[in-house]
Amino acid sequence: MPLYSAGRRRVIIALALTSALLLTLDLRGNRLFDAARSGFTVALQPFQQAAEVASTPIERLWRAYSDFDAIEEENRVLRAQVDAQRSAEIAAQNAIIENQDLLALNSLESLASYDSVTARLVGQSPTNFDQQVEIDRGSIHGIRVGMPAVNEAGLVGKVTRVAPTSSVIMLVTDPSYAVQVKILSVGGEDPDQVVPGFTTTTAVTEEESFPGADQGAVREEFPIATSTTTTVVLDDRVNLPEVEVIRETGVLRGQGDERLPRVSFVAGNSAFGRIEIGDTVFTAGGSTSLAPPNIPVGRVANVITRAGTAGQELEVALSPDLGRLQFVRVVLYQPPTELQP
Amino acid sequence: MIGFLMNSWVARVIPIGMVLLAVQTTLLVELRPFGVSVQIVLAYVAATGAVGGVDRGAIVGFTVGLMYDLAVGTPLGATAVTMALAGYVAGIGRLFRIESHWWILALQSAVGAAVGEAMVPVVRLVIGEASVSPTGLLTVVGVVTAAALVASPVLAPLGRWSLSLQRSEMKLPPEIRAEV
Repeated sequence: MPLYSAGRRRVIIALALTSALLLTLDLRGNRLFDAARSGFTVALQPFQQAAEVASTPIERLWRAYSDFDAIEEENRVLRAQVDAQRSAEIAAQNAIIENQDLLALNSLESLASYDSVTARLVGQSPTNFDQQVEIDRGSIHGIRVGMPAVNEAGLVGKVTRVAPTSSVIMLVTDPSYAVQVKILSVGGEDPDQVVPGFTTTTAVTEEESFPGADQGAVREEFPIATSTTTTVVLDDRVNLPEVEVIRETGVLRGQGDERLPRVSFVAGNSAFGRIEIGDTVFTAGGSTSLAPPNIPVGRVANVITRAGTAGQELEVALSPDLGRLQFVRVVLYQPPTELQP
Repeated sequence: MIGFLMNSWVARVIPIGMVLLAVQTTLLVELRPFGVSVQIVLAYVAATGAVGGVDRGAIVGFTVGLMYDLAVGTPLGATAVTMALAGYVAGIGRLFRIESHWWILALQSAVGAAVGEAMVPVVRLVIGEASVSPTGLLTVVGVVTAAALVASPVLAPLGRWSLSLQRSEMKLPPEIRAEV
């Protein structure tokens, strides 16, 4: 039978058209397909459990072989870090408690305001092009699509698929992931000299353009980037120079497993130049954001200046080590716009 | 009807697909040589294409690809089309030989798997998902291809069984074989 016979051509065309049809229906959102996915996941579970039991000894052997040297080196580095962090931790704990007290006093929302579900990782994405993990908690535990997942170090990702007893989390590094973030930067001579007991004044400037404006993107998806500069005036009793807390907001996007996520801004403004490597990145929150405000994301690892009016981009070194996740906490948060009236 | 279904390739390919998907989503997400997840399902599709030919390879690839999409949560049809292509490409060699040596089947499987894996980011790009860096893609395709090559001696008989194919009994006459 020749390579391009009529029958063969019909088969290929039928498969291609079926794929295109399925893709179109699925990408537009289809409840039938969602139900089929849930059903298939349930049907596959016995096979997965059997495979897990059979493969556990092989996995352990592989890990023992491949991870031993790296773990030993990491252990040595971590011991040194723990020693260095011990005193800082006590001060940080105190600051967190004070911060939460202040937020509660002022009726402001913080991560502690929301219930959460702790879940264990039970699987990773089997593909080489997605950064996803599967957890052992699902809709019967209150998890819904879009909820943020965190661990002790900070933002891990968001829930993209929910079954009754399991969910899939898209990691921050996935190229499809995007979240609004803010960058806090302490300007001035010596950032270490910021101390409690100050008064602040805040000025907010708004940029008129937004990513993709020239391609007709919808503004709601990318709220206007804001730049806030808070001047910190210390009490007279404290004899330290005036410092500035610079606050930028932008959109953080994953860049895949091998590259750091990037924060893209809308356009350059006077404050951008003052963001420096090491500045901290938090979720920005907002009425349409899927993540509540003030979840730690990471630190600025690199500032990229793009030509023309393209603005700047920041590369962000994430706080959580996504390669070694064991447990995550799904914050049962839904933005106000998603809540049922 | 039930008897026909039980004797058809569907009744064999679907359970095999389920078992391989279970292995793919458990063992092979942990065993990652060079940080790459070996694609055993893709290797099976390519091996089946190599022994079954382009039509069967494409249809089995499409069926197993749909199962993969359902299990993993990728857009329905995205993996199906890449696996159909893998099965098709792997089956091209079958047009020129009645029955191949094991190492030719392994090469066909490897080429099919390479094409299938390389097409994944292309399809994702077409449907509006993210792109993959070329350096990462080379490593991914290299490891997936090597895995398909190594697994072919096991997966080709499995593919032959799942399509209810008999190993060809046609042999070249000894005198012609001596000349070859």
